[in-house]
Amino acid sequence: MATSETSNIKRLQVRRFKPEENPKSTYLTEETGIWAWMTTVDHKKIGLMYLASILFFFFVGGTLALLLRTELLTPAQSFITADTYNQIFTLHGAIMVFFFLVPSVPAALGNFVLPLQLGCKDVAFPRVNLLSYYIYVIGAVFTLIAIFTGGVDTGWTFYTPYSATTGGNVMMMTLGVFILGFSSILTGVNFIVTIHRLRSPGQTWNKISLFLWSLYATSIIQILATPVLAITLLLLTMERALHIGIFDPALGGDPVLYQHFFWFYSHPAVYIMIVPGFGIVSEIISTFSRKHIFGYWAIALSSLAIAFIGFLVWGHHMFTAGQSSLANMVFSFLTFLVGIPTGIKIFNWVATMYKGSIDMKTPMLYIMAFLFLFMIGGFTGIMLGSLAVDIHLHDTYYVVAHFHYVMMGGMVMAFLGGLHYWWPKMFGKMYNEFWARIACVVIFIGFNLTFLPQFVMGSMGMPRRYFNYLEQFQGYHQASTYGSYILGIGFLIIAAYLLHSLLRGKKAPPNPWGSRAMEWQTSSPPSLHNYEHTPVVINGPYDYHKPMSEFQLGIEGSHNGHGEHQHTETKTVEADK
Amino acid sequence: MAQTSANVKKGDHVQHHFVDSDQQFESAKMGMWIFLVTEILFFGGLFLAYIVFRSWYPELYLMASDHLDTFWGAVNTVVLIGSSLTVAMAIRSAQLNQQKGLIINLAITIALACIFMVIKYFEYTHKFDLGIYPGAYYAYDGIAHDKANIFFSIYYMMTGLHGIHVLIGIGLMIWLIVRARKGHFHSEYYTPVEITGLYWHLVDIIWIFLFPLLYLID
Amino acid sequence: MSGHHISSAKFLWGVGIVLLVLTFITVAVTWIEIPSPWNVVVAIAIAVVKAAVVAMFFMNLWWDTKFNILLLVMSIIFFMILVGITLLDTLYRTDPIPSF
Repeated sequence: MATSETSNIKRLQVRRFKPEENPKSTYLTEETGIWAWMTTVDHKKIGLMYLASILFFFFVGGTLALLLRTELLTPAQSFITADTYNQIFTLHGAIMVFFFLVPSVPAALGNFVLPLQLGCKDVAFPRVNLLSYYIYVIGAVFTLIAIFTGGVDTGWTFYTPYSATTGGNVMMMTLGVFILGFSSILTGVNFIVTIHRLRSPGQTWNKISLFLWSLYATSIIQILATPVLAITLLLLTMERALHIGIFDPALGGDPVLYQHFFWFYSHPAVYIMIVPGFGIVSEIISTFSRKHIFGYWAIALSSLAIAFIGFLVWGHHMFTAGQSSLANMVFSFLTFLVGIPTGIKIFNWVATMYKGSIDMKTPMLYIMAFLFLFMIGGFTGIMLGSLAVDIHLHDTYYVVAHFHYVMMGGMVMAFLGGLHYWWPKMFGKMYNEFWARIACVVIFIGFNLTFLPQFVMGSMGMPRRYFNYLEQFQGYHQASTYGSYILGIGFLIIAAYLLHSLLRGKKAPPNPWGSRAMEWQTSSPPSLHNYEHTPVVINGPYDYHKPMSEFQLGIEGSHNGHGEHQHTETKTVEADK
Repeated sequence: MAQTSANVKKGDHVQHHFVDSDQQFESAKMGMWIFLVTEILFFGGLFLAYIVFRSWYPELYLMASDHLDTFWGAVNTVVLIGSSLTVAMAIRSAQLNQQKGLIINLAITIALACIFMVIKYFEYTHKFDLGIYPGAYYAYDGIAHDKANIFFSIYYMMTGLHGIHVLIGIGLMIWLIVRARKGHFHSEYYTPVEITGLYWHLVDIIWIFLFPLLYLID
Repeated sequence: MSGHHISSAKFLWGVGIVLLVLTFITVAVTWIEIPSPWNVVVAIAIAVVKAAVVAMFFMNLWWDTKFNILLLVMSIIFFMILVGITLLDTLYRTDPIPSF
């Protein structure tokens, strides 16, 4: 028994709780059956349900991308018509952005990890959490209906006046995304409240992990930006249904105003997608460098800074849309500011690795790929942010390559890193390290082969979203297409060994990476209520200079008043706290 | 403070992942405030459209707002402020374990909300009779401005969306009465009353801005 | 700090009456002619005061945690960002920056 000061108010009697090696009862063995899963309020199960859904959409979106790339092998039409091509790239964009990227890390990995890292039993509003999942499903159903009742060919940005007049079922699609927005908002509300109110005893703001800081920043963007998307899509729906004309020049409205509305959400949304990825990078770099994270507060606050600055730069999507020159200049200037907090992060991550004991396991390998690819994506973003250059590059493949380097090279790499990192915790199984590394290398090569040529042909003037192209671009397009096939193979390898791991993978120990972070101090997979004790935190999650025993402290019993009969206990704990 | 009837139920409402009732109450309230932030920005988009078009066509707003009845707008403002007062009284009743007061105050709130909607209904139908429809369907020639349809698009969107929020509020209030009659609320647990109250006050605040911006342009 | 603030009935009625008086004032000022930009300023100012009264004393922000006040302030700041920067475009579209 050790006594330690955990807050400035009360002293707590704590003892060490070693995580169980072979847990008999885990969240996967309790409350099984389809109905129990569908009505579960357990954040871990909801996280897994989200994970399965986003992986499904990633597969659909990826297949669509391969179709597009195959069509682009030749300059002329090969196997799909121009209209189908338009619908496919719209769906690829909309599915990847709204159904994969936005919920990928927060709703899937975040849902699973956040309460574990806080040492609480669940998120603050478990039923709202489940509701947000079903709202996501309903949004998906609307989108599917849209696909099968005419399709959508507007591009994922739904620009007016085209989206207000084109055929197809744009209304269903915008309603689907509108509904999806609520799911995103509810997740954001849940996370902010949980981080504020449900931290473990002793877990002050400087002792929560950087992943939580990034989720916190993401949630703030979600609650501030998503409602504006909701009103935008509602107005667009009304535009189609009632011809209200606010965005329709034929009726006296202003189409550029639509773009302001849309990008006020969709630019910050880019940070909704990437900032949680930053959090994963911080976790993995520290764990696999066996070293305290360099510049904890710099990384934590730069997430918030990115969240804030992200709201000031949306107009850089509109440099050629006809907005005023004054706005162009202001937006261009503000855009460069985003580079500062991002640079701070990169610097601190690299500094964390400096003189660390680096272990190139699969998650770390993905993070190395992230650093490399995200840097390219970030710098090309700065180039696009400068006005004169953007006039030339706007709506070319250069832009396509840029955001794929950020979103796929950045976000998807971080997501894959996080997936591999937390896989043992989620399922209690290890994956095949050898094949995992192979897949990572294959994806890295395939990715660069796909998108590097796009930078080149973009700067030569190849416009995006075009079905046909001049013959001079064929070489680049072919390289890009073959690269996308390699990329596809890489993902198939991942699918294969992860399935193998699920079915007959080796049993995972509670803490396979030797991490000091809190989620590793419970069994793998965790029990239904995460911890059988109330964890007490005295060290930060990256204090690798402290012994492991100091990270497994807690108070006896589950004191959170679980069940009716335990209510009397609550009183005694109140006195403790 | 707590009465005997409340003591029996005490603790039942605390969900397993909260340490105590206070933590749960504060969490719910914070969650509602965050949700209200999203509501403010949701309406914020419409206010933006309003501001942009007003900055472009100030004379249009002057002409068009003549066709909105200031008297009924003012009556509706008074009605909503009254309902905010009764919601605040309802929360007070719940805090003091006054079951009857809680139900009566909620019922008055619903009645006031219904009055608000009825007045809105007559305002709308009056405009429809004149041919004042939103956007492309606008068919009224009493306003000598070619963008008059845009003003009424914005008017209908703002007041319509606000009206939908009032309807949702009425639904929530009915749900509260049903639960209150079952004796679910007492001084230890009145979270749903509190957060519905917060929502209702926000609906009131939005109207406080809509009233001068739409009706009171002289 | 705690959210369990109980207002007296008298106090709540007082707040309600203040709001009604402010409603009367905001209608009454339209009867006197205030020159163009200022009539909007006065109308908005009264609305802000009314909204603040509702938020502070009906929504109990006066007695609430600072974070909830921060949330309200934040939403207003971001609304202002949305409006302010959009106006940089819409107000200056016809007269571009004078060339150097």
